[in-house]
Amino acid sequence: MLVKSYLVFPKEGEKNNLVDKLNQFDWCEVLPAQNKDVLVLVTDTLDESDEDICLNQLNEIQEIKHYTLVSGFEENENHTSQ
Amino acid sequence: MAMKKKRGISIFIFILLMISAIVVLDRSLTTNQERASLGYEPEDYVPSLPAESGVFRRSEYALDYENMPDGDSFKRSLEDYYENRAYPGAPPIIPHPLVSEQGIGGKSCLQCHENGGYVDRFKAYAPVTPHPEMLNCRQCHAAPKSGQLFKKTNWVKISHPEIKGSALQGGPPVIPHSLQMRENCLACHAGPAAPNEIKVSHPYRVNCRQCHVPVQEFATLKAKWDSTDQFFRKPN
Amino acid sequence: MNRREFVKKLAAASALAAAAAMFPGIVFADQQEQELPAGEITWKKSPCRFCGVGCGLKIGLQKGKAVAVKGDPDSPVNKGLCCVKGYHSVMALYAKDRLTKPLVRKNGKLVETSIDEALDLVASKMQETIDKHGKDSVSMYGSGQWTIPDGYVASKFMKGAIGTNNLEANARLCMASAVTGFLTTFGMDEPMGCYEDIDHADVFVLWGNNMAEMHPVLFSRLLDQRLKRSNVKIIDLATRTTRTSTAADRSILFKPQTDLAIANAICYEIINNGWVNQEFVRKHCAFKKGKTNIGYGLEDNFKFKDEATGIDLDEFKEFLKDYRPDKVEKMSGVSAKDIKYLAAVYGNPNKKVTSFWCMGMNQHTRGTWINNLVYNIHLLVGKISTPGNSPFSLTGQPSACGTVREVGTLTHKLPHGVVMNEKDRKMAAEIWKVPVENIPPKPSLHTVEMFRALDRGEVRFMWIQVTNPMVTMPKLNRYRDGALKEDRFIVVSDVYPTPTTDIADVILPSAMWIEREGMYGNSERRTQHFEQLVDAPGDCMSDTWQIIEVARRMGFEKQFPWSYEEHIPEIWKEYSLFHEGAKHGMAPYQVLKSQPGAQWPYVNGKSTQWRFHGKYDPACKGNTYDFYGKPEGKAWIWARPYEAAPEEPDQEYPFLLNTGRVIEHWHTGSMTRRIPVLHQAVPKAYVELHPDDAKQMGIRNGNQVRLVSRRGKIDLPASVNERGKPVRGHVFVPFFDEGKLINELTLDAFCPISKQPDYKKCAIKIEKV
Repeated sequence: MLVKSYLVFPKEGEKNNLVDKLNQFDWCEVLPAQNKDVLVLVTDTLDESDEDICLNQLNEIQEIKHYTLVSGFEENENHTSQ
Repeated sequence: MAMKKKRGISIFIFILLMISAIVVLDRSLTTNQERASLGYEPEDYVPSLPAESGVFRRSEYALDYENMPDGDSFKRSLEDYYENRAYPGAPPIIPHPLVSEQGIGGKSCLQCHENGGYVDRFKAYAPVTPHPEMLNCRQCHAAPKSGQLFKKTNWVKISHPEIKGSALQGGPPVIPHSLQMRENCLACHAGPAAPNEIKVSHPYRVNCRQCHVPVQEFATLKAKWDSTDQFFRKPN
Repeated sequence: MNRREFVKKLAAASALAAAAAMFPGIVFADQQEQELPAGEITWKKSPCRFCGVGCGLKIGLQKGKAVAVKGDPDSPVNKGLCCVKGYHSVMALYAKDRLTKPLVRKNGKLVETSIDEALDLVASKMQETIDKHGKDSVSMYGSGQWTIPDGYVASKFMKGAIGTNNLEANARLCMASAVTGFLTTFGMDEPMGCYEDIDHADVFVLWGNNMAEMHPVLFSRLLDQRLKRSNVKIIDLATRTTRTSTAADRSILFKPQTDLAIANAICYEIINNGWVNQEFVRKHCAFKKGKTNIGYGLEDNFKFKDEATGIDLDEFKEFLKDYRPDKVEKMSGVSAKDIKYLAAVYGNPNKKVTSFWCMGMNQHTRGTWINNLVYNIHLLVGKISTPGNSPFSLTGQPSACGTVREVGTLTHKLPHGVVMNEKDRKMAAEIWKVPVENIPPKPSLHTVEMFRALDRGEVRFMWIQVTNPMVTMPKLNRYRDGALKEDRFIVVSDVYPTPTTDIADVILPSAMWIEREGMYGNSERRTQHFEQLVDAPGDCMSDTWQIIEVARRMGFEKQFPWSYEEHIPEIWKEYSLFHEGAKHGMAPYQVLKSQPGAQWPYVNGKSTQWRFHGKYDPACKGNTYDFYGKPEGKAWIWARPYEAAPEEPDQEYPFLLNTGRVIEHWHTGSMTRRIPVLHQAVPKAYVELHPDDAKQMGIRNGNQVRLVSRRGKIDLPASVNERGKPVRGHVFVPFFDEGKLINELTLDAFCPISKQPDYKKCAIKIEKV
């Protein structure tokens, strides 16, 4: 499990569209600010390779002006000890 | 060696990244200072119930409260207090006969409930209202005439909030309930009509929220606090 | 919460904290904030279920149930304060006798059935009735408790798909005179001002409106202003002494129906003292007169059409000569001094005046006229459409404005305009994707006439949703008997059993308020959205979806194509097409979702607070007043005389009966009586008597008293010197109690222009039992 949170800045006037677009991805959780042009994005992916796929999808969204990583949590579930 | 499910947790807090992001973003945002247009702008609201207003009201009586009788015969329990409400935070009903059905605030209810005091007729001290500026008392407070129901109900009263301890042992307890309509702490937590369990031992300190923080409004803060025990560093 | 969710919350929390550091004062949607670990109760916004004030509530949710309520501090309507009904409103969802299964009457007994079977039956019965008796033999009757989507699909279904104008709503009994008042004076419905007028006005004149009980949250705003600004005065002009009179600075009592004469006398004084705002009247007003001796609609198939004739100021002055204060004193019982005082209040150029009224003026056999007359006063002195200067018509139901008036669920209305207008019909047909010939160009039956037609047999099928006509219809015995006749099929959609479900052949269980998504529109043109917050019990279905299901069964899939998940936003999008433009534009769905309401006309991302003034209303030409609803942008000042009520007390029936509400109960009490706190406060109806009348008849508080009118009789306990005090010769009875149906006594006379019945005046006699 790899969970990261970002602050995402939409292009002018595109906040609502962006929220709608992000909400379509099941690996996304979006918390838009009510009074500022910014939203919090929490991504929930399996591992780094899975995350790469997701980030590619994110990079293709036209409505994003820029985004920045805030925090990340990684948990490995190992069933065998080393 | 036993094969055991083991969980390795590694947590990265990107503090450096965050600080640099703030600096970079701040610059990029100020250099690009066009006003954001969302197609609509949320309307401006004037919050008319600033949670701070009324905190100090009644403080002039604080010293008197120390000297008021505290005998068992007057004591009201927290159970009595919540018995009068449909749910914690609901406006309490009026449990006694009314002075006047037509009365509005100043001429009726507030005679006793603005400043409290002993009422011989009910052999009790009148509880003090935290919002004496609202005059149409019966707007929110109903006076039951009957104990019957029209139809039975499945309504279940949720339990009242409780102090779940302080952040640190011996620290001041937090405020576990909403302050809306009840910003004035001393109205309910001091004086002879205050429910025994929630009566404050030091009403003369007056500035309650110097030490007691309302917890409901600080959900985010609390989450952050809880998360700190997740942070640790291995010696290298 | 599982580990994964917990970690996600943590990630979100640090991002929220980072955002807060960058943008001080940033606010995130409550939902997310509250779902963080600390909150046990989640708070969500919704407008209140009850009256037309439209308070913003925050509803506390726990484990899928609504458990608490607080006022929404962000709502500009109530700013965090509610009334006793609002605080306990969610308890109305949870009474044990909630209707949760469809019931069908078989051999006189109601039998549980499946929802599909019930909907099939409604559709097939409706089709069968149309085939046998024609389109105009089916009808639908809703109310201002319909959400906007409910009313919209009802209108599309009846007028567009089926093709009959037999669509009416309880608002006919409640707001119709306000509508015709607005239309005849301004050419456009609904108030020009808003609740913020309260924060600016110096004097409030309440015309027959017990605001302390009926619109308590707004009344508290009046009281609050009076505390803050020492010059604020409240004048209660009423027919009965109430809590409002006690709170007012001045209480003036008048004889019922003579408000017509008083308003004219005020105009007389304003003109006589030279207080007319000459420039305003010259530029922005036109004078008109209409027909007189217009009747009372007591007979079946009553018809009336008013005609406006232009007059000039001199003719208007001549007309007012009958209303010299000393003459009106004799008619109304209001001293000439008090009339002059009122005129001086309105006439003082340094005072901002707001008038409030509701049922006193609307439930009036000259309801349209008295609405016109109060506008006359405001127009003569130019006190209108600016902050604090506001003739303000209040409403009683949560969406009387939003649904019945704006969507137009009345026989003559379309979502935009009226059925009589070809252009409006074409617009509706285009948006609805139906042939324009489907929409009949003639209005059919207004409410009273619709129930008469049911009695006569012209209407054979009626679908009643969210209202309780078997408590609220005047002269109730006739209309109940009519509904119970052979070969009448009645469908009732409701949440609890009521006297109306007693006459039903099919009962459909409805999802109530926050058990479904919807919008209400309040008195100040504010549209407020609420999402579904809790699950509806059993087979309960929203009124919107019930209509869609039946419409599809009747072959109108094309007109009702929406998916269940998306139907509310889709309906909102389609409905908004009707109102596009600066005069009535509606806020987009996302805006409504994100904030406690928006006021139409919503133009360029902004609500309009005051209409008809260029400074505030983008639809106006120029920078000053523009009453664009009327030709040449001029509002009409009407010469409307005093005409007596149809039934005045006489020797045989010497008392005058007035009916109304109490603060604890709302409408017919089917919800509020199921809220223990409210029921226990006012468990049953009573009759208020003047202490001297009571004494004379030997009646003491609590004694049983029999009230008899020409139409029915009822026994009630007397209430003397309690909450309200009628004048001598009058009595007052609240109508919420289904066990004591006061409307069996009332008269079905109505205003010939608005067709709204008068529940405030009929003659009765009193006997001690």
